[in-house]
Amino acid sequence: MKKKLLTLALLLVLVLSGCVKTKSEVETEGKGDDGKGGLNEKVQIEVLGMGSGEEDLNIVRDQLIKNGFDVKLNIQPDYGTFSSQKDAGNFDLALSSWTTVTGNPDYAVRALFKSDGANSLFKDSIVDELIDQASRETADEYTKTYKQLEQQLVTEKAFIAPLYNSYKAQGVNKKVLNPDSVRLAKSRAIPWETIDFKDAAQRTTEPLVTQQAIGDLTSLDPIKGNDGSINTLNTNMYVRLVNLTDEDEVVSDGSLSYNYAMAEGNSDYYFLLRDDINFASVSNEKATDTGERVGAEDVVFSLERAKDKDSVPDHRTYSLHERIKSAEIVTDLSELKNAKQSGSEETILESLENGIDTKLSKIVDSKTEADNSKGNYQVVKVTTTEPFPQVLNYLAHQSAGIVSEKQVKSINTYDVASFNIDKDIPYGDQRTVTEGATYNNHLYASGPYILVKKNDYQADFVKNPGYRTGSDFEPKISNITVRFIDDSDSALSALRNGEIHLFNGVPETKYDLVEKDDNLLLQKSDSNAVTYLQFNTAGRKVSESENLRKAVLFSINQDEFLNYYQGNKKKAYSTVSPLVDTGNELVADSDKVKEFMDAYHKE
Amino acid sequence: MKDSTNNRHALVISKEYPQANFTWILSVVLAGIFLWNSFPTNTKELNPFVFSLFCAYMVTAVFQLFITLKMKKDLLSTGEIHAGTRRLGYVQLASLLTGNIFAATFAFNLINKRKTPEYTFAVYMLLTQLAVIAISSVNLFKPYVSDTFLIAMASLLLITLFHLVALILSVRYVREYSAPRWMSVLAIFLMATAVTGNLFALLLGWSLFMKARRFDSSRLLKWNVMWEKITRNSTAVLGMFFILLMLAISITSRFTFDYALAVENNYGAILQTPSLEYPFGTDNFGRDVFSRIVFGARISLLVGFAATIVPGLIGGFLGAIAGYYSNRIDNWIMRLLDILYSIPGILLAIAIIAAFGANTVNLIIALSVGAIPTYARTMRANVLMVSNYDFVDSAKALGASDFSILFKQVVPNSLAPMIVKSTLTIGGAVIATSSLSYLGLGVEPHIPEWGNILKVGSTYLESNSYLAIFPGLAIILLVLSFNFLGDGLRDALDPKLD
Repeated sequence: MKKKLLTLALLLVLVLSGCVKTKSEVETEGKGDDGKGGLNEKVQIEVLGMGSGEEDLNIVRDQLIKNGFDVKLNIQPDYGTFSSQKDAGNFDLALSSWTTVTGNPDYAVRALFKSDGANSLFKDSIVDELIDQASRETADEYTKTYKQLEQQLVTEKAFIAPLYNSYKAQGVNKKVLNPDSVRLAKSRAIPWETIDFKDAAQRTTEPLVTQQAIGDLTSLDPIKGNDGSINTLNTNMYVRLVNLTDEDEVVSDGSLSYNYAMAEGNSDYYFLLRDDINFASVSNEKATDTGERVGAEDVVFSLERAKDKDSVPDHRTYSLHERIKSAEIVTDLSELKNAKQSGSEETILESLENGIDTKLSKIVDSKTEADNSKGNYQVVKVTTTEPFPQVLNYLAHQSAGIVSEKQVKSINTYDVASFNIDKDIPYGDQRTVTEGATYNNHLYASGPYILVKKNDYQADFVKNPGYRTGSDFEPKISNITVRFIDDSDSALSALRNGEIHLFNGVPETKYDLVEKDDNLLLQKSDSNAVTYLQFNTAGRKVSESENLRKAVLFSINQDEFLNYYQGNKKKAYSTVSPLVDTGNELVADSDKVKEFMDAYHKE
Repeated sequence: MKDSTNNRHALVISKEYPQANFTWILSVVLAGIFLWNSFPTNTKELNPFVFSLFCAYMVTAVFQLFITLKMKKDLLSTGEIHAGTRRLGYVQLASLLTGNIFAATFAFNLINKRKTPEYTFAVYMLLTQLAVIAISSVNLFKPYVSDTFLIAMASLLLITLFHLVALILSVRYVREYSAPRWMSVLAIFLMATAVTGNLFALLLGWSLFMKARRFDSSRLLKWNVMWEKITRNSTAVLGMFFILLMLAISITSRFTFDYALAVENNYGAILQTPSLEYPFGTDNFGRDVFSRIVFGARISLLVGFAATIVPGLIGGFLGAIAGYYSNRIDNWIMRLLDILYSIPGILLAIAIIAAFGANTVNLIIALSVGAIPTYARTMRANVLMVSNYDFVDSAKALGASDFSILFKQVVPNSLAPMIVKSTLTIGGAVIATSSLSYLGLGVEPHIPEWGNILKVGSTYLESNSYLAIFPGLAIILLVLSFNFLGDGLRDALDPKLD
């Protein structure tokens, strides 16, 4: 009996071994050898990221390990701890992302890659030169320059390793909102004034409830912030000289100007201002029309402070506007008659008058004298330090929002050099709108909405009663509530159960949930958000060795990212990829990895 | 009249009868779960595999009900179970093929009228071995198996055969207080097979060894009584079975499972539903959830045991000293520990992990520190009680030093409540480990750990619910098993319940 069983067991094993493949058999069938690290020791790469990027980090880790690296993950729970780790230099690769909110390629490279940029990662004279050259060129010319720039940046030096370009996806509750009124733009933040309920009777009775992730607002002074906490809010609180369309073209629609024109030489820009926008303020939790018009004086004041590094403490956006030389009110009509538009025989005046009802009879100095119906207009001229057509994109950015000269000067009475955040309260400080003892709302909004109050959970906005009353651009919905919901899964749940009506940022892996839901509509568009790996440029092995950086670069397989995100990402080569089609593509190549690793070990 | 009262009493004290009821009810419940799952909500089509499982379980349940009724009749009429009814157990053994472990253990219990602890150990040893083989052989459906798979499976099969032989021999030759001398050789071999993690083999081996070497009969009596009490409690034995199965799996998976399938991303197989190749489906990175859960058992058990033993030793030592020596020392130690006790354990763990970084060692330290005071209190209370016993006074009279009295006489006699307490708290430690991983504070996210797997599953709860259900079930079963075993141990070790 025992013997029989034993032979049976042996037989079973034999049969099994006949039809089962072992791992090494499969591997030798697939590839010749798997001599990954070879004789050399594995190089350890420390990858830094945030908890929210856990999936990307895992894919990078997997790809690096499969190419023979040893990977250490450094996952930080939030942006604060992430930045402090990054500042301390505790990384070889940092998972970073960049969104070009102005929609122009210069912004996509200047701050990150220029030696003197605000978020500069490294210093390279060829890169600097190429960035400056491209900025002077028009759209037709700069494609080649940006291609060269990308090659220097990625192929030659491997300063960054690109991962992917994201889509923007927005979930809309179509049972409550009219989905056609909800815009989804490639670069700019969503404008609230066009959004309408399905049932117009709800405009005054129901609030529109939307969402954003960060509830700690950097500053409600447009020039003092450029991040996710205030971009949408400030965009809707301050009007600008021009706007971007959903496809990133610069237009006057929904802005303070009727028309704009670029004069010959690409250095002078003229804007014909409207007279139907008043500043709003808040009293007793209601918006009131201050009666003060948004005029050329405010425009000049706003742009002058935007370009001046020392106009406020913590000026976070002057690098966007540093190429504005001056902004002034035009008082001489003949200047407009004489100047020609760039690349055209039309005069500036003709171009500015294009499509308006009452032609210009007089241009006035003071905003109180402007009366468009009588032909009295205000015109602002912006001059750049050098020919720079992309300045218009910067003027469409929220940081170029128009603030009230009178109000800001009356609040910002402190001395900039000796500013003390504990004693001085600057214009737009979030403490002044936060419920509680410090509440003292001093905001003057030139845009369609004004912030009434906020707490840790939400911010309440009401419409500006003096904003283009009676026109198509008059805000439709009276009250808007912005919920602060940090986690995208929670926000999605809130959208699905009707708690919020609008959610920008549906995660890629959850598109089908929104699409399947009868109450919801998924709006999807391209975006300028690029995720990339940034190499540490000081004090690490990867900072010293180009070969090591390239070995890491060629380990990155963008196809796997696309697979993971179920095709809801696009390939990218650098931060300009979504804006300029340069034709560069990163192809993973394990042979090149080996080659560069060998070269690295010989160094 | 008197007869029927006696027989009613027989029904009540019968060990098999409640287990028979428990078995058919559970089989019906499991059959119900399979029936529910054989009609997937999205396709409305019958899943033939799951439906056949339902049929098999239903047949088992009906047959089990038949046996139960027959047992009741036997017991009521004659006060004992007839041999013919017992033989039905051999038929019910077939339920083992469907994986119905409850019916199988019942069948084993029914077949043998005279149950020595050795018989129970041997049965569970064999069952564990079979379960390990069954779980490991799921890998046959994978595109490839690990290099050591065939050798490991062959040795597992041989060990199983050996265990079967040991079962038969122990049924034949082992008596209540004795066993043939030659069995000590068998015992040593059995204990050697315990390296596969099948600790039932160790228990059986040690038990046989004691009997074959004619150990002191009072010791044998104590051993027999204790295990009889534990084995009488069928939930406790099932709990122990599951724990030891997990232990055996985490050891043998080293050879029978391929770790790469659990950690390496496979973008060609993202979010697949359960199939033969991927029994529990694949997660968002295309990793096999079944392999991940199997490998995850290792960390859960390791951290669970370590985070119990470390505070048990430290807390036990401090508690013993506090309980035995002067008031002053007692006050110092216990008040300091009270301070530690006032800090919520999980918050302390989070703080430690945040400060020193997330890895397994730090996880164990973090979970251990917070648990020290409770062990110290338990030990102190026992030491206070035991040190008043006569044998301690005798030891003092003989001139033994305080230290040797404490650790040679007092502490060994205070251990029982500590053992019970630690079994009951291992479950808590397993949950705490998983909670920390779930919060992203435990081990690195790609490492298979039950909390990590559950975290991934939680974001796909709606679209791919199996990703959360299986790791959740694994955690629940392990914790439940520890709690059942802890309860059984308490009943067996607590003198008050005698």
